Parts: sequence; structure tokens; C-alpha cells
Amino acid sequence: MWVIMKGDKEIVGTLRGFDVYVNMVLEDVTEIEDTPEGKKLTKLDQILLNGNNIAMLVPGAKPDYL
Amino acid sequence: MADAAGTGMSTGVSKTPAEFLKAIKGKAVLVKLNSGVDYRGILACLDGYMNIAMEQTEEYVNGQLKNKYGDAFIRGNNVLYISALSKSS
Repeated sequence: MWVIMKGDKEIVGTLRGFDVYVNMVLEDVTEIEDTPEGKKLTKLDQILLNGNNIAMLVPGAKPDYL
Repeated sequence: MADAAGTGMSTGVSKTPAEFLKAIKGKAVLVKLNSGVDYRGILACLDGYMNIAMEQTEEYVNGQLKNKYGDAFIRGNNVLYISALSKSS
């Protein structure tokens, strides 16, 4: 699952669960900050991503540079 | 139709946000805020609004800034994500 957030940030991970607010639990997550195009923080385990900032969800895809 | 989102997706091991929150209490976590500031610490407790109470919190902006010990409280409003950490470095 490729998650695009408001404000030039993207998250790629495996969707484990979600709720009615589209808060999402993602596993094996790579976080991509897009300002100078290149800050990547890879975090394992699981994250709970706040649905507040999510703009778009692209299932079954990842960005080319990954 | 409104029910589907809450119940339809869960498989045998439910890892909905509610389950996740129960599972990580007491664990080392990294909390990122909308502002981009990172906080690493041990999750004491949290609620449905993503308000967080943590212990032994360290604040990272680009390098390491403030160190907080004892309890830190973060208003859920500002939380971008909560990540479970297997080891806090």
C-alpha cells in the first residue's frame, strides 16, 4: 500500500488494519520525505498512521525509486 | 455499508488501530508530529484521540534537541504517526 499524505510525504507499507477514520496500521514501513527528494526513514515493526493527513491511497503499488 | 470498514477487514489476528494501541502500551515507540518533530520513549498510555503519555522521552528535530525524563504528554491533534520500536537507540 502506498499512502500519499498532504504536504509532500509518502508512506509505503503493508496494510494491517484500519478504522472508520482511515487511521491505518501499517507494517514494514518506509517513510519518504520529498522536499530535497531523498530523505528516507525506514521503520519496521508497525505504525499507526493518523488518517488526518492522508490524501491518497494507492493499493498494491510503490513509488519508482523504491 | 458503514459497518464494513469497522468489521469487514479484520482477519484472525485483528490489528485495527484499537488493537494496535492496546498492544504497544509499555513498549518503546517513536511518535512523529505534523511539525516533523520526533519523540522516542516508552508509551505509558494513550487514548482514542491519540493523546499520548510517554516516559523517558527524547526529542529529535534534525539532530537531537531536548531530553525529557519523567512524563511527557502529547496532544493527539498533532500526531502524524506512532511507530512501535523493537529497540530504542
